[in-house]
Amino acid sequence: MNAEDSKKSLDKRMSLKEAISRFVFDGCSIAFSGMGGEQVVAPTYEIIRQGQKDMTLMGDSPCECADYLVGTGQLKRVEVAWLAFAVAGVSPNYRRAVEKGIPRKIDVREFSNYTMGLRFLAGAMGLPFMTTKSLIGSSIEKYNDMIKVIEDPYGGQKVAVVPAAIPDVAIVHVNRADKLGNAQFLGFSSNAENIARAAKRAIITCEEIVSTDKIKENPTFTTVPQYIVDAVVEVPYCSHPWNMCYAYAYDIPFHMEMMAEIETEDGFKRWMDKWAFGCKDHEQYCDKVGWSRLRKLTQVEKKFCICNC
Amino acid sequence: MSGHQEEYAEDYTLQELLVVAASREVNDKEVVFVGVGIPCLGALVAKLTHAPNAILVVESGCIGATPYRLTLGIGDNACVENAICVTSLWRAFSDQQRGYFDLGMLGGAQVDKYGNLNSTAIFGNGDYYTPSARLPGSGGANDIAVSAKRTLVMMNQQKRRFLEKVDFVTSPGYLDGPGSRERNGYPGGGPAVIISNMAIFRFDKQTKEAYLDSVHPGITAEGVAREVSWDLKVSPNLKTTMPPTKKETEIIRILDSEKIYTGGGLKGLTFDNYMNMLDSSYEKLREMFK
Repeated sequence: MNAEDSKKSLDKRMSLKEAISRFVFDGCSIAFSGMGGEQVVAPTYEIIRQGQKDMTLMGDSPCECADYLVGTGQLKRVEVAWLAFAVAGVSPNYRRAVEKGIPRKIDVREFSNYTMGLRFLAGAMGLPFMTTKSLIGSSIEKYNDMIKVIEDPYGGQKVAVVPAAIPDVAIVHVNRADKLGNAQFLGFSSNAENIARAAKRAIITCEEIVSTDKIKENPTFTTVPQYIVDAVVEVPYCSHPWNMCYAYAYDIPFHMEMMAEIETEDGFKRWMDKWAFGCKDHEQYCDKVGWSRLRKLTQVEKKFCICNC
Repeated sequence: MSGHQEEYAEDYTLQELLVVAASREVNDKEVVFVGVGIPCLGALVAKLTHAPNAILVVESGCIGATPYRLTLGIGDNACVENAICVTSLWRAFSDQQRGYFDLGMLGGAQVDKYGNLNSTAIFGNGDYYTPSARLPGSGGANDIAVSAKRTLVMMNQQKRRFLEKVDFVTSPGYLDGPGSRERNGYPGGGPAVIISNMAIFRFDKQTKEAYLDSVHPGITAEGVAREVSWDLKVSPNLKTTMPPTKKETEIIRILDSEKIYTGGGLKGLTFDNYMNMLDSSYEKLREMFK
C-alpha cells in the first residue's frame, strides 16, 4: 500500500503491533511527540519487542523513546536537543553509548529545542530550511555541520540555518482521535503538529478513539487533521509513567524505580525483560503495573484538570 | 524585592534561601521562562508574594499556569492547570525570539566568568566525541540564553564548575566579553545573575565579567573565591544575601511539602505519599492563590 492509499483510508484503526510493523522499518528515521510529559512510551516498548534496527531518531527532548532505543542498540544516530529523564534523572543508556560505546557508538547531532521545532516546521511547510537567531556562536554550531550561519540576504546580521527534518515515520500520542485520524490534544502539543506533518508516515496513538461527531464538537482541538495520518491506534495509558494532560498524573515513584534499575547495563536488561519482552503487548504492561494504580493516577488528575468538552 | 519590612525566618535551609534568592529576581508583570526545580519554585514564590501578575512559561508550550501542586517538569500536567494559553513549543520559543520574554532561568554543570554555560559534556581527558561525562544537552537552554531579555543562572559552587572557560558553550553568556552578543546578533541581553549555594554574582556592565555581589549568611568572600577558577572581583558594596521571610518559608514548605526540590529529593517517595501530596496540595494552594 503506498502512502497516499493509507492516508486516504476511511478507517485507519489497527493494533499497535500492526502499526509498528507496517511503518517502522530497519534503517528508518523516526520521530516521537511529547515534551517533558506526554511521552510516547507504549510504542517504544513495541518497537523494542519487534527489534527494528539501525534507526535514526529525530527529536527535541525525547526520553524513553531515545534512551531505551539507544540501550537496546536499535539507534545508530540521534538528532536531538536534549536526552534525559528530566526531574527523574539523567539518561544512563545515552551516557554509556557516548562515553563508552556501549552497546554501540552512536552518531550525535545536536540542536536546541526551538531549532529542532523549526526543523520540523520546515519539514511541515515543505521548505528546505528555517532560520533562527539561536545557536550562532555556540559550541553547538561549532560541532554540528548541519547548522550553517549565513548573512541575512536583506542586509546586515547573521542568521543560523537549520535543515528541514523529514522523518520516515512519526508517532504522535494525543488524547483522542476518530477512525479517520483527526487527532485532538486537550493539553499541550509541543512540536507534535509539525512532527506529524513533516513525516512521510504518521501513526496516531490516542487515549481514546471517539466518533467524528465528537471531533466536530470542538474542531479547534484538532491538531492533526486526517489527511496527514496513516494509522490510528487506541492506547490508553500510552505515556505511563509520564503524565498525559486531562487524563492521568505523572507516576514519578514508578519512574524512580525505573531509574534505579537502568543505572547499570544489567539492570537495563532486566527492566527490558520485565516490561518489554515480559509483556505480550501494552495491555499486559498495564496488567503488570496494576489497573488500580493507573486508575488512581486518573482519579487524582480529575481533581486538578477537568475537560468538559 | 520583597520582605524588607517583614519578619525574617530564623530556621530555614540553604535550599529555601536559594528559592527566595531566585524569587527576588522576578518582578511583577514579567514574562518568565521557567525550568524545573529550585528556580521554578522561586518563580511560584514570587507569584505568591511580590509578583502576583508574573506570567510563567514552560517549553512544552504552556503559558501562565497557576498550578495547585508542585510542578514536576516542563511538561507536567501542572503546566496546563489554570493556564491562560496552551500552544506549541515552537510558538512559545518564537514569542521569546520576538522579544516578549523578560527573564529566562538556566542551569548547567559549568559556568565561566562571562556567564557561558555548559550542559552538554564534561570533556575531562577526552573531547566532545568521547567526553568523560555526557550531559543531557541544551534542551531549550541555548534559545533562552540567546533570546530572553535577561537570564538567571543557578549553579553549584565548585572550583571545577566555575571556570575561566567552559569546555563547551551550550548557552552563550557574554562569550568572549564586551560586544560579543551584539556581533552575533542575539536579541536578548544575556545573564544578569548567577545564584550559587554560597553566593550571588552579577555582571560588570563594562567588562561583562561576573563579580561577587552577595555572600549567603555564614559564607565569606575568601571562601567563595576559593571555589572560583578565575581572579574573582568583589563588589565594593558586598552584601549578605537576605534570608527568607517567615511567609516565604511557609509558602515553600506548602509548595514542596515532600521536600522534592528543597530536601532529600525523590528517593523514598512512595506512591501513597505521592498521592497524598497531590491530594492535600490542591486545597492548600487553591486557598493561597485566591
